[in-house]
Amino acid sequence: MATTPRSGGVGGAGTATRPNGTSQNKSCQFKLVLLGESAVGKSSLVLRFVKGQFHEYQESTIGAAFLTQTICIEDTVVKFEIWDTAGQERYHSLAPMYYRGAQAAIVVYDIQNQDSFQRAKTWVKELHKQASPNIVIALAGNKADLSNIRVVEFDEAKQYAEENGLLFMETSAKTGMNVNDIFLAIAKKLPKNDGANNQGTSIRPNGNETNRPTNNCCK
Amino acid sequence: MTGRQESRRLCAVTFFAKLHPGDVCGSNGLPLTPNSIAILGRAQKLKELQDEHLCQYLDVIRGKHERTIVVSEYLGLSLEDYAKRNPPLSLAQILRIFYQVACGINVLSQHHLVAHNLEPKHVLISDDGRRIKLFNYGLHHMTKGGCYVPFPIGNIRYMSPERLLGLNGNVKSDVWALAMLVVELVLQIELWPKLKLSNVIRKILAFGRSNGVLEKIAREHQCYERYVSMDKDLRQLLESCLQVLPKKRPLPQELLKQPIFESVLAELKKERDQEIQENQEHVPLLLRCPLSQIYHLWQLAGGDVQAELKKEGLIRSEAPILGLPQIVRLSGASVCPGRSQAQLMDDRVVPLRLKALLQRLSRLPADVYFPLLHSPRFPAHFARELQALPLVIREKDIEYQFQRVRLFTRLLQGYPHTAEQLRREASVDVPPLLRGPIWAALLDVVPNGSYCKIDKFTATSTDRQIEVDIPRCHQYDELLSSPDGHRKLRRLLKAWVTAHPQYVYWQGLDSLTAPFLYLNFNHEELAFLSLFKFIPKYLQWFFLKDNSAVIKEYLSKFSQLTAFHEPLLAQHLASISFIPELFAIPWFLTMFSHVFPLHKILHLWDKLMLGDSSYPLFIGIAILRQLRSTLLSSGFNECILLFSDLPDIVMEGCVLESQKMYEVTPKSITHRQHALHQQQPHSLDIGVTEVELKHLQLEQCPRISAKDVQALLLYSPSELALVDLRSVVEYGRVYVPHSINIPFATVQLGDQRLEALPVANVETQLRGRIVVCVSNIHQHSVEFSHFLVACGIQRTCILHKGFNVLHSIEPNILISN
Repeated sequence: MATTPRSGGVGGAGTATRPNGTSQNKSCQFKLVLLGESAVGKSSLVLRFVKGQFHEYQESTIGAAFLTQTICIEDTVVKFEIWDTAGQERYHSLAPMYYRGAQAAIVVYDIQNQDSFQRAKTWVKELHKQASPNIVIALAGNKADLSNIRVVEFDEAKQYAEENGLLFMETSAKTGMNVNDIFLAIAKKLPKNDGANNQGTSIRPNGNETNRPTNNCCK
Repeated sequence: MTGRQESRRLCAVTFFAKLHPGDVCGSNGLPLTPNSIAILGRAQKLKELQDEHLCQYLDVIRGKHERTIVVSEYLGLSLEDYAKRNPPLSLAQILRIFYQVACGINVLSQHHLVAHNLEPKHVLISDDGRRIKLFNYGLHHMTKGGCYVPFPIGNIRYMSPERLLGLNGNVKSDVWALAMLVVELVLQIELWPKLKLSNVIRKILAFGRSNGVLEKIAREHQCYERYVSMDKDLRQLLESCLQVLPKKRPLPQELLKQPIFESVLAELKKERDQEIQENQEHVPLLLRCPLSQIYHLWQLAGGDVQAELKKEGLIRSEAPILGLPQIVRLSGASVCPGRSQAQLMDDRVVPLRLKALLQRLSRLPADVYFPLLHSPRFPAHFARELQALPLVIREKDIEYQFQRVRLFTRLLQGYPHTAEQLRREASVDVPPLLRGPIWAALLDVVPNGSYCKIDKFTATSTDRQIEVDIPRCHQYDELLSSPDGHRKLRRLLKAWVTAHPQYVYWQGLDSLTAPFLYLNFNHEELAFLSLFKFIPKYLQWFFLKDNSAVIKEYLSKFSQLTAFHEPLLAQHLASISFIPELFAIPWFLTMFSHVFPLHKILHLWDKLMLGDSSYPLFIGIAILRQLRSTLLSSGFNECILLFSDLPDIVMEGCVLESQKMYEVTPKSITHRQHALHQQQPHSLDIGVTEVELKHLQLEQCPRISAKDVQALLLYSPSELALVDLRSVVEYGRVYVPHSINIPFATVQLGDQRLEALPVANVETQLRGRIVVCVSNIHQHSVEFSHFLVACGIQRTCILHKGFNVLHSIEPNILISN
């Protein structure tokens, strides 16, 4: 099983290039949104996942940023369309535009910041209430490389995640720890045979799909 | 003599900042700021010190491996050399030196600074032996008392006992050092020339047990007779300065009031009066300009401080292999050979020669050096032909920059009286050296001391957000990443939030503030006031807690203007639902300061400052236009990806395009309810609240006011195509001359081709003009304008209030039958 993300998943169309030449692969697209307090490392997680890079001074995100990444999981090519949102509470009003119609969400907190963990819980609540009922939510305790000065205990977060049916991992965008793994875990959990998992188009108000001919999942 | 004074007014010294051991991160997980950057930030303040007894600081440069290079003014030769060449100095000369050094220390202490490295090497004396300036006095401040460097600050021989005990920051320690320096001159000795450092320290600390420090020094150096025969007043004064307890020593300002200096004071005053009367003709014109400008030109002329240091052997390159670690532990710690130079502070001074620059600029006429703004012969036509060259070339041209810098210096001196002329010149270009104050002037800033009255310290609920944003804001820049840069940015942001209770801190305000701080690093007030004026001018209401209506209106206007200038592109983007909400919020909220690196923002804002609140919208369109072909051939995902990682935009092209569009677009086209309205609208204008968001969202094309249509008809009818959508009958009754009648009823909206229209040669009649759709049924204009956009007709707009408004134009423009 190929588990490493491949770069260059920028094709836009659902017919992602096959990694190993076998032409029988299914392909899926999923919309994924990152949420969480500002400066917890949302953009850094995405940057690590998509480009394998880490910038110490990653700029703050204003509004939102969009990136894509394609990974192979068993015989399926999974393409993530990732919306990386601004963390500041004031940008909250924009968030529904991004998470509405998303099939997956990663709610990120910083293990050395208790407030960011509380904020993550609020996000989870909001997603349960407002997002699509089938949304797969992962909780990421980021900055795990700084675990010697952690404030949020692993067990506490794990228990919370279990109670709320979330995937949970502690990650480090800086070292790369668990970054690919969390996206993989999400990909595994997403229903790949369900034709309904690609309706997340509310981000484009007109829902005009003419430019994406192969939009349906798993053909 | 070491050459004429003129040829070595600038010099450089270099040292190494302390290296952080290994790859160490701070508690926030971010790497520690290199000490050389911290020094760079702290040193900025020193550049502001201008005093006749202080050598002016001009620049701090970071080299490789934490090397720091300090560029400053230089004068004559050091007291050390001077005393050796002219022994013995007369009492009058010594007093002159004593007094002037005390003046220097006094100025420093007024700025809450201490030198702490006073010694004969750091006292410079002019060739004629009359003027004295302190040199290298900022080392203690810029290195935070030596925290950032691997060597101690100051010469042990001149250190007071309390400094040896580790007490820093007291100006009285400088008074001690000054006295020691004078003692050497008076007694004609060198302090403990043969003693080891440890023994010198022992000697100085032993002073604590005696009360006659001066006498003891004299005895130890076998010159007790000189001590006895010394001028009594001077001896007393020196003894008071050499008190072991700092509090018993006089303050610099007390020193200056001593009667012993009265004769010196009178002499200095006389000389100064003479100097004013004296003809300065022997001084080259260039040297009468501020040193900061001379240094800037020296750099433009190819001056390279690092190369000069290399020439003098102060920067030696070592084989990189010698720097490799010998042992690397699993923990990451490594053992490296100590870099041979790194441990040392080489205090050689390298002169930067100005001869070539002086020669080069000597050909310029005097009125370039000192432009006469109000003489009838102004504007001088100097370098007009250069203005046609690309900006990057103009910015590198010495003569041109010199002329611009001198001109703007004058204009800024005359501001606000010269505001209009300054704006005119700024529209040509802005010399980088003076950009900060020029922008402030363009924003109508007049410093009034209000900044210092704003509370920047009380904790607020936004502190946390500001705290996490600052270390991510333009950190590639040395100044902004220095601890001083962080502190200043924090103060500015907090001050702005405090000064605007109606607004809140939105992420992005940090990026917006950064260019102003970068340009006015030493003038926080100017930075603050520039921001203070900039925001209402371009971002009125953007920082409201609920700014959604403002942003929505702004982005809708952006879409309309895109349709106005780039109809096909707008059509395409709309068809793939690539709405500005998804990519343009960071553009406009930060006026592109979040999307571009500083050097690009500076050129962009040079032009922005000259435009009104609509200018940024055209910058946005210019960016779209530059990426046009890629966007047209891309779907939603590719487009959004393109903007998430904005490709290299050619700024000069973007600036020119936006300027062109800005100039050809009638003002009312850009009308926004939420823009800053300073004047009551004209009756033929679009009223402030007449166009609501829902109109903007429903209408792809912007509205034009009757006033603008009238102006076009009057002054440039060839740029106007007025499409009258009323019926033939109505048109026959009353019409605008040269308008085109296309009755709406005859238009097949479904057939989006110009050829389908019932009028011949429509395309040639519309292309390249501002196409105004006029009807007395508004919906007709809207639908027809959409039709034209779909056909790719540029600059389509709708007459606000329809045909009937034309009746109220006076004098009448209509033809009635």
